[in-house]
Amino acid sequence: MLKEETKNAKNGKKKKKVGEPRQPMPEQDPRTRARNFEEVPKGYTDEMAIAEAARCLTCKKPKCVEGCPVRINIPGFVGLIADGRFIEAAMKLKEDTALPAVCGRVCPQETQCEAECVLGKKFEPVAIGRLERFAADYARDHGEPDPDVTSPTGKKVAVIGAGPAGITAASDLACRGHKIIMFEALHQPGGVLVYGIPQFRLPKEIVQYEVNGLKKLGVEIRTDYVIGKTETVDQLLEEYDAVFIATGAGLPMFLGIPGENAIGVFSANEFLTRVNLMKAYDFPHHATSPIRADHVITVGGGNVAMDSARTALRLETRSTIVYRRSRAEMPARDEEIHHAEEEGVAMNLLTNPVRILSDENNRATGMECIRMELGEPDESGRRRPVPIEGSEFVIEADTMVIAIGNRPNPLIPQTTEGLDVSKWGTVEVNEETMATSKDGVFAAGDIVSGAATVISAMGQGKQAADAIHEYLTG
Amino acid sequence: MPQISLTIDGIEIEADEGTMVLDVARKAGIEIPTVCAHEDLAPYGACRLCIVDIEGLPGLPTSCTTPAAPGMVVHTQTEALQSLRQRTLELMLSGHPKGCLVCPHRTDCENHRPNPTKAGRTTRCGFCSNRSGCSIRDMSFEMCPTSELDLPTIYYGYNLERSDPFMDRDYNLCVLCAKCWRICEKIHGKPALSLVNRGRWARPGTNFDKSYVGSGCTFCGACIDICPTGTLSDRTGRWHGQPDKITLSTCTLCPEGCSMWVHTTDGKVTSTRMWAFDRESRLCALGRFVFAQMHNAPIRLRRPYVRTNGESIPMEWDDALKAAAERLSAFDKGQVVVIASECDTRETRYLYQKLAVEELSADVLFVPLGGSGDPSLGERLRDGSVKAAIVAGDFLDQESIERLECLIAVDWRPSDVSRNADIVLPAAILSESEGTFRDASGNVRSVPCCSETVGEARPEWRIVRDIARAMGSEEFDYETINDVTSEIVDDRPPSPWNGSPRDNLKELPGHFRGHCIADSAQEVEMLGLPTKAVRKRSETEEEGFRIIEKKEIVPNFHLLEVEAPQVARFAKPGQFVIVMVSEESERVPYTLADWNEETGTITMIVEEVGRSSREVALLKEGGMIAHVTGPLGMPVNIEKFGTVVMGAGCYGVGAVYPIARAMKAAGNRVITVVEACSYYLIYWEDKLAEVSDEILFATKDGSRGTHGGVQDVFGQLLTSTDGGSDPPDVFVAIGCTFMMRSAVEVTRASRVPTYVALNPIMVDGTGMCGACRCTVEGETRFACIDGPIFNGHEVDWDELSSRRSAYANVEVEALSHGGPPEPLEAQAGGSAARGVCSEDRCDFANIRPTYGN
Repeated sequence: MLKEETKNAKNGKKKKKVGEPRQPMPEQDPRTRARNFEEVPKGYTDEMAIAEAARCLTCKKPKCVEGCPVRINIPGFVGLIADGRFIEAAMKLKEDTALPAVCGRVCPQETQCEAECVLGKKFEPVAIGRLERFAADYARDHGEPDPDVTSPTGKKVAVIGAGPAGITAASDLACRGHKIIMFEALHQPGGVLVYGIPQFRLPKEIVQYEVNGLKKLGVEIRTDYVIGKTETVDQLLEEYDAVFIATGAGLPMFLGIPGENAIGVFSANEFLTRVNLMKAYDFPHHATSPIRADHVITVGGGNVAMDSARTALRLETRSTIVYRRSRAEMPARDEEIHHAEEEGVAMNLLTNPVRILSDENNRATGMECIRMELGEPDESGRRRPVPIEGSEFVIEADTMVIAIGNRPNPLIPQTTEGLDVSKWGTVEVNEETMATSKDGVFAAGDIVSGAATVISAMGQGKQAADAIHEYLTG
Repeated sequence: MPQISLTIDGIEIEADEGTMVLDVARKAGIEIPTVCAHEDLAPYGACRLCIVDIEGLPGLPTSCTTPAAPGMVVHTQTEALQSLRQRTLELMLSGHPKGCLVCPHRTDCENHRPNPTKAGRTTRCGFCSNRSGCSIRDMSFEMCPTSELDLPTIYYGYNLERSDPFMDRDYNLCVLCAKCWRICEKIHGKPALSLVNRGRWARPGTNFDKSYVGSGCTFCGACIDICPTGTLSDRTGRWHGQPDKITLSTCTLCPEGCSMWVHTTDGKVTSTRMWAFDRESRLCALGRFVFAQMHNAPIRLRRPYVRTNGESIPMEWDDALKAAAERLSAFDKGQVVVIASECDTRETRYLYQKLAVEELSADVLFVPLGGSGDPSLGERLRDGSVKAAIVAGDFLDQESIERLECLIAVDWRPSDVSRNADIVLPAAILSESEGTFRDASGNVRSVPCCSETVGEARPEWRIVRDIARAMGSEEFDYETINDVTSEIVDDRPPSPWNGSPRDNLKELPGHFRGHCIADSAQEVEMLGLPTKAVRKRSETEEEGFRIIEKKEIVPNFHLLEVEAPQVARFAKPGQFVIVMVSEESERVPYTLADWNEETGTITMIVEEVGRSSREVALLKEGGMIAHVTGPLGMPVNIEKFGTVVMGAGCYGVGAVYPIARAMKAAGNRVITVVEACSYYLIYWEDKLAEVSDEILFATKDGSRGTHGGVQDVFGQLLTSTDGGSDPPDVFVAIGCTFMMRSAVEVTRASRVPTYVALNPIMVDGTGMCGACRCTVEGETRFACIDGPIFNGHEVDWDELSSRRSAYANVEVEALSHGGPPEPLEAQAGGSAARGVCSEDRCDFANIRPTYGN
């Protein structure tokens, strides 16, 4: 590949700056940002974006695209940025992803597209995520043309859940001329993008913008509408030609240790929802009770744990993570762990909670933990943590956030007849078409895969949209 | 005054001639009950509880109005007197919602719920912000065993008055002791309130029922502080209960330096009081109501910040002080200026002066209240003779800020100064810091520290001392504030404030250290004080769910009928909805009380017990609610059980209605038990009767049906021996946690399933957050998706109760925000026309006592 580049240069083509260092992302100072809810990375300038895009080798067989769950034409959009054609770059992105501004921010690029980047083998990979974000932000700020919508097909699809999977499928299907009605249980569309991922990682205006984009496509969004309660999937099937279930993994898991129902113990979902969606940090203007803590312990090592621990800092508290394995096994993105450490989150690794201590009013006062050591690898391939006997100790804290994952929300599986569900509560689907056991009903996202990432939900949403289109027109 | 001698209860007592018998007795340690007498008020004789028997005098005179005479023989505790006093108290309390006083479950209930419920209308002690300080309540326990307070309560139904700043008024609690208007007259001469109306409708009020602002009231708070009931209350302070500490201090919001009592609980200022009930000691609206709010303002500076490479970064104190010293040292003599408020304590001013003169060779400028910076400062900044400043307040305009090379802000809340400062040092204010204060007349007053600082803020005198120390000075070796005080020899008083805020609302100072007071205490905006805050007035929702009917059906219970077709279409008995009144509201669950699929409407019964339900209480027909989500929760299992007993209390009366209807339709024999504190709080009797085979009542004051609660009737039904009627097969109890829990205990031994609707705190209501987790059968369950209805015998009630109180403190705080005061212009039109006594009351259907069953 490198040889080819040199050859190109000799042929008088644009010279690639192979080996130029990657453009660093301008960021807020860690200590300032730990106290505010503004976004941490500030984004590339035009010049930085062009310089970074110019690093791309425009491989003939781009490996990066293979690494992307939604198969974005990465060399295509990066090349347009390198030529300064930013709006066109954004349009190119939109061909494959409904939410480039979101993915550019929250995707784990280092394990997906960027991990595959050829340049990364010898140098740093092209900063695909940052470029994606740049193009999407540029288009949002400068106005982008409306997408092409084919003529109406007369088919109606119910999309349940306005999160990443639902938005992707709704957008795809609407562009293909189907009438989309989206049902959202909460009072705002966006799903985990509005209740879960904090403002400093994903500004809510971006989600709002993308949702407005959906509305422009003619998608009708019914908030405050809980399918499985307000109406069931079976009732929807009487009115719609197809139903797409994208309700996510909205049932928090707890540790199952004594004292866990003490006041001050939150699921990460509740903790983040209070702050993000309900804006409790803006109490009393927003009425939801704020979380006032001296010390917040977050249990878990995933992205949600990092989000919670960093949110805690922004509530002006001390913030500690308790995780039972070591840093290397943390499932969170490296960048997020790094940000958390940089901002001052204390890491208590190889530590497992044993019980939660509370006072006579059932208010949490501390967490008894035990030290762990790593033993043999388990099914996941990660070394299994084993408790060290007699190493119990107490961390004093008044607030604990349990961020150890979510199970699928049971409302729809419980109320839909003939819908096959796994023993973990996930909806069983054909992995190619995302079709469920029920005719005309498709499912994707965390309700299918358990708790995973925004981009994998989007990838599945896209797959499902193709299959639904096929189902409706085939 | 000549001394005389008289005998009270067999004790010979010396007294000044002309002293009232009540005072003589009190001095001698003999307690005579009274409500209307007050040491700071002239004798009045309104309550007639202090009657005594004086030998040789006809009748039973009131001791508060009878002067002591030589040789008098007084009896205060005869049987006849006690009996008469009991009757008097009973009559007095017949016009005062007293359910709790005669409730057989009072002790258990108050143990279960140690703090009163933050209700809109007070319909019992358990809903009264004055409960912990109520002398009438104590008196009734002492004088009247419960059986002696038999007269049913007459609830007058007066509207709550909550559109004035600072105060809430609920005339339904008034016992006409006349203290409020007497103290108003004593302090202000021309009183803002007096007795209005006649006969049973007599109550305190303003001329023509004007707003207090319009009536000439200066908001000294004396009427609130002297009121023995919860009739008049301090909106922000009322739910804090009794203070754990009271400190005599000085208000330093203006150069007057008024003395006052500072009330604190857990180190937090909850309220302030004039230090004596006389004209000289009166406070202005700021001293009485705003002082506490300033301390508790949600927006404060909490940490030191230092600007490095353009970013303001939080730092440890030592580093911030060091940075301040380093930057200041870089300037030449005279290039620094110190700007602080004239109303600071003497010690703070002294240290600023000393720092300026001895360490910085700087000019120091003390800004008088309401003044701005030195007019010559702008000039000196322009010509470059001043390059750096230490500024202790919002005292600089944007131009000056931009011209400074170095700006150090020592302040308590953010302003343009601190936002642009190179170094921000958070300061404690008012009662958070100690010192002395020289008032405008030259007197030195003490300012003790009596509350905790916010975040990492420090007393200002220590900040100034530590800057000097960081600069290497050895002249600032003060350890305590007294070391500073003793060094001050010749300090000037601050310039007097041009106005008399204690007499005229229009002359209140609008600033504190250059900051608009209204930015920390929103209500003063209603008095015309300036604000810099850009407030988004919540606009009427245009999208959302239309309100078809909104009515307060009985005191404190609001019926809300809303258009929500998708909920109405799929609702089942036992389900609930989550409501957000506006986009800024909480998500709050309310049980569905009724619905109509044809009209697409749903009905809820909402009890006003806090900020969010107050938002509901203030809604109007035809308006909009931002969000209604539902139906949520598992429906009740409806089948033919046989005899089903429905127990309903409070909001539960609405909640059981659809369940009773369905149970009846399924062929059950339905017995409905309605519990209320008193007869006038029973609603939907007709509706419930339609769906019940039998309807029974229980009231806490015994005014209707069984004297007691649902639990007592459940007990009766279980042990009922009158043949024919089958024992109950299922119980359902919906109401407050105490009622449900008590009912469950009664049925536990019988093992008859007893379903309850749990009411934990919820956020999303769809299983996503787990806030509503409860322990049932030893397992953690989510009330929103697994419930809310569970078999009460399996519920961990202690856990539920504790989790419900998770935000008790915040809930009190929340009530002082997002509240009802309407802007004055909205009231102005109506104020003159109001005042017809029939318009000051709600038209409750059911407030005439029925005397017996």
